[in-house]
Amino acid sequence: MATLLVITILIPLIAGLATALAPGLDRDQARKIALGAVVVTLGLSLVLLVGFRPEIRGPQFAFQTLDGHYGWAWIAKTDIRVAFGLDGLSLWLFVLTSLLMITAVCSSWESVSDRAPQYYGFLLALQTGLLGLFASLDVVLFYVFFEFTLIPLFFLIGLWGGPKRKKAAVTFFLYTLAGSLLTLLGVISLVAVNYLYSRGHVLTFSIPELTSGLAVVQWDDWYKTNSWTSPQVLIFLLLFAGFAIKVPMFPFHTWLPLAHVEAPTAGSIVLAGVLLKVGTYGLMRFNLAMTPLGSAALFPLIATLAVAGVIYGALAALAQTDVKRLVAYSSVSHMGFIVLGIFAMNATGLDGAVIQQINHGLTTGALFACVGMIYDRYHTRQLADLGGLWSRLPVLALFLMLAAMGSAAVPLLCGFTGEFPILAGAFETSPRSAVLAATGMILGAAYLLWMLRKLLFGPLKEPHGHTTDATNGHHPAVAPVGWYEIAGLSPLMILIVLIGVYPRPFLNQSKLAVVDLVETLPQSAVASAPARLDPARARSLDQNDRTPVLSASVATAPAASLGDRR
Amino acid sequence: MSQSAIEIARNAARFLIPEFVLLATAMAIMTASAFTRQSRKVWCAIAAAAMLLALGNVLAQGSIKTEAYGSVVLNDHLSGSARIVLLLTGLVILGLAHEEPSDERAGEFFGALLVINAGAMITAAANEIVLLFVGLELVSIPTYLILYLSRRHAASREAAVKYFFLSLFASSLLLYGLGFLYGTTGLSNLKAIGYLLEKLPGAPQPQLGLLAIVFILAGLTFRVAAVPLHFYAPDVYQGSPIVIAALLSWLPKAVGILAMARVLTGVFATKEPTDPLLQKAVILCWVIAAATMVWGNFVALLQTNLKRLLAYSSIAHAGYLMVGITAAFATDSRPGSLFAGTESALFYLVAYAAMTLGVFGLLSAVLADGRGVETIDDLAGLGWARPWTGLGLAVCLLSLAGIPPLAGFWAKFEVFTAAISATRRDGSGIFLLLAVVGMLSAAAGAFYYLRLVVIMYLVDAPSKTAFTLRGGWPVLGSAAACVVATVGLGLFSSPVVEAARLAAQAALSRPAPPVAVADGDLAPRQFVRVAGD
Repeated sequence: MATLLVITILIPLIAGLATALAPGLDRDQARKIALGAVVVTLGLSLVLLVGFRPEIRGPQFAFQTLDGHYGWAWIAKTDIRVAFGLDGLSLWLFVLTSLLMITAVCSSWESVSDRAPQYYGFLLALQTGLLGLFASLDVVLFYVFFEFTLIPLFFLIGLWGGPKRKKAAVTFFLYTLAGSLLTLLGVISLVAVNYLYSRGHVLTFSIPELTSGLAVVQWDDWYKTNSWTSPQVLIFLLLFAGFAIKVPMFPFHTWLPLAHVEAPTAGSIVLAGVLLKVGTYGLMRFNLAMTPLGSAALFPLIATLAVAGVIYGALAALAQTDVKRLVAYSSVSHMGFIVLGIFAMNATGLDGAVIQQINHGLTTGALFACVGMIYDRYHTRQLADLGGLWSRLPVLALFLMLAAMGSAAVPLLCGFTGEFPILAGAFETSPRSAVLAATGMILGAAYLLWMLRKLLFGPLKEPHGHTTDATNGHHPAVAPVGWYEIAGLSPLMILIVLIGVYPRPFLNQSKLAVVDLVETLPQSAVASAPARLDPARARSLDQNDRTPVLSASVATAPAASLGDRR
Repeated sequence: MSQSAIEIARNAARFLIPEFVLLATAMAIMTASAFTRQSRKVWCAIAAAAMLLALGNVLAQGSIKTEAYGSVVLNDHLSGSARIVLLLTGLVILGLAHEEPSDERAGEFFGALLVINAGAMITAAANEIVLLFVGLELVSIPTYLILYLSRRHAASREAAVKYFFLSLFASSLLLYGLGFLYGTTGLSNLKAIGYLLEKLPGAPQPQLGLLAIVFILAGLTFRVAAVPLHFYAPDVYQGSPIVIAALLSWLPKAVGILAMARVLTGVFATKEPTDPLLQKAVILCWVIAAATMVWGNFVALLQTNLKRLLAYSSIAHAGYLMVGITAAFATDSRPGSLFAGTESALFYLVAYAAMTLGVFGLLSAVLADGRGVETIDDLAGLGWARPWTGLGLAVCLLSLAGIPPLAGFWAKFEVFTAAISATRRDGSGIFLLLAVVGMLSAAAGAFYYLRLVVIMYLVDAPSKTAFTLRGGWPVLGSAAACVVATVGLGLFSSPVVEAARLAAQAALSRPAPPVAVADGDLAPRQFVRVAGD
């Protein structure tokens, strides 16, 4: 299975290089190769999903050497390794990436004709970047993929984007690069702290080993959080710089609307669906798991920013006249929820955050795909120019409706199963922020329903010249929804309903990883949990109560989680 | 086991055979070109053959034993790896420059290139203050010649004169500093100086040691083009042909860093980091590194002339190299498994060689409408008109910007890791601050590299410029080798990392002295006096 994981990650890159560099490919060949590659990748990802055993702690599908290290040596002397594996936190994001890529390729089927081989090449390279990122078990490898994703997306936006694409591409690239360079410093600092202060001076770049090692380093300053320059707080902030821009958290979101509006549809789908999750994934993997005391100390700041993002994003979405900008701002709002759930620092909130990452990927990816379909037909995204599309494009209308309702967290659709636990978890930690964030949910329903009303209902309104019969004017007829569009969107729709109706199987896969993560968190945040506990959490609390000395600073027994690796 | 004086001299002479080959060939070419008229191809081929011969000899030198406290040169991992890299890059530069001089000047031109390479190799191997200085001057003096040979217009003459005077000034500063270094112990053998400074309490005399560090560093910052002696670079690059600019952006920098490894960190970074002299050295290097990174990167943002832009880029990279040197003063005495200062700087040099020579090489090959490219706008549409050239250029530029998985990323990663791992030794947060300053200026710096990529690829209409390539296979082959090295180092850098580590350890290693030294026979009397004062 370890080999299968590596193959899954590499297939898109190989197909992408072949598509981009092979001479004389035309559009049709390129898109068929691309579709074939993403379908195969999804198939392999599903095999991995089926083979994933939720009851096992630690990463799975990882190649392990005899002495217990993951992966293969890359820089031998410092033990930087090429190590891949999936656990409960990364599994769903991995599968989501594979799934959304199909939507991305399908939504480009007809709309991209200029330099199509290179386009699909970049799209596939981006997929390898994202898959590799989620599967990395080594911090340097993670970072390499983390920044590598910038290059294909830069070209996707810059070459196939809208009128202001150059500015959008450069802004996106530099903004995220600036943050992620600071993240790199934070990552190096984590390794250095572990190396200098762990028992036996362990030099490791492995994510699982760092997570367990940093929880028990023998350095008193590490457990102090009384000032901005306390090690954990400082490193938290360094790490946060890159991830917060990626999420994006208010007030670092300014690159996002521009990038979204200018990006081609597939770029927007991947950007919103997966790339933003890189930020929240990083926050969980690094900020929360490796600098838990810093997270606890800075909770007020982070919660304020998250809630501000929720409300600001929703209000900004309400004010938009361009559908794509509206969806982009809704992302700012919804990502704020996820961050709030993560830093609620309890199992409820984290459960919600993990599942909400998937939900947001599905709904926003679908929304952007729908917007792209509208734009392909009418060459406008202005709400004022459109209306009553239900009668013209009923299939599209159904898709849009489901996606928007899912995004607005209507019960029995997926958004609800994510946002409700997030709010419940946040309420345990900080009732004020939960209440304020809940207003974002109401606003969210408002702007999404308003968008639906403008686009789908009322009398049919189309930009001048677009009709079905194409007899008058020189505009082409409004094409009915094509097979490729249905193929790209139906899986998302099925999942939106399925997660909403029956979320348990989805939560089960990540359960243990979340519990593990919560166990490493500082006592103060966990202890505020009320009586309504699930058995796993109760067990973790018991453990901590029995070891009061340790739990005063940091509560964990990470060695246990290393014992039963696969 | 100690060698007799005659053995020491014989081994040193055997060890220097590659340099002798280069110098003898250079003299032969320069003399012969005055009497016979050959095409530049002939001279270039002879020079390349000499370099290959020297390379073969370097590779076969493993068995030569040099005495650390007696020999003027050292056969260690630093000299071994550095000479291989220098010869390989020398071949690359030869390939890039093979059509640069006119036929009548070709003999002098290629001869000077050989001398420069020999000088750089001597610097890398030198274990003696005087020989080190000779090596540095063997780099400088032919550089004046090359700059002057290419005179085409007033600007290039101005560049040559500017470089000449500033280089003289820097050399004299360096010599002054080397004099103080000699004064600290009364010895000129670098390993011996380092050994005595480490073992003797109270040595070096603080003012003397500081003067030595300040002046040596001042002289060498000119070579690496670091603030405050960086300001010649943009004018000189702009005034010279692009191939000469490539040479200037690489070789003096390499020589400067190698000299620092030999004469500064190799000698001084032996004490505990709490040593007051080392702390002063760290602060000095800190200021130089931070100022160089910030100045280079931010001023580069304003440039539209390609060569000026690359000049500021090379200044910025001098700043990253200086971060490595700064960390070296603090970490190298007790290196751990994490990257140490000198090691990271040496790795950076190799990565920098590949990517910067790749950029210069490809730019020198490109003709836009039959003219060489001058401003950044000349590159508009290159990426689509010449896909492979554009791709190579983009790879090297992104590598310079530090984007993984390319060589430049690993270089920055190592340098800043060295800085962060120096933090504990130092205690205060200044190394972390240096890393933050460096990262933020690197983010700003990414803009101007990215701007070139944008101009090459993100064009609104198909370019009307007709791009052609000049130089034939030697230029394209050299440039392609650089691009491949940039990618290859990014994907699999382990061997070079290992070589850099061994080299850095070699620069610091001080074997137990032979009995003669311990008895005080070799240590001159005046040392005892100085230390006793």
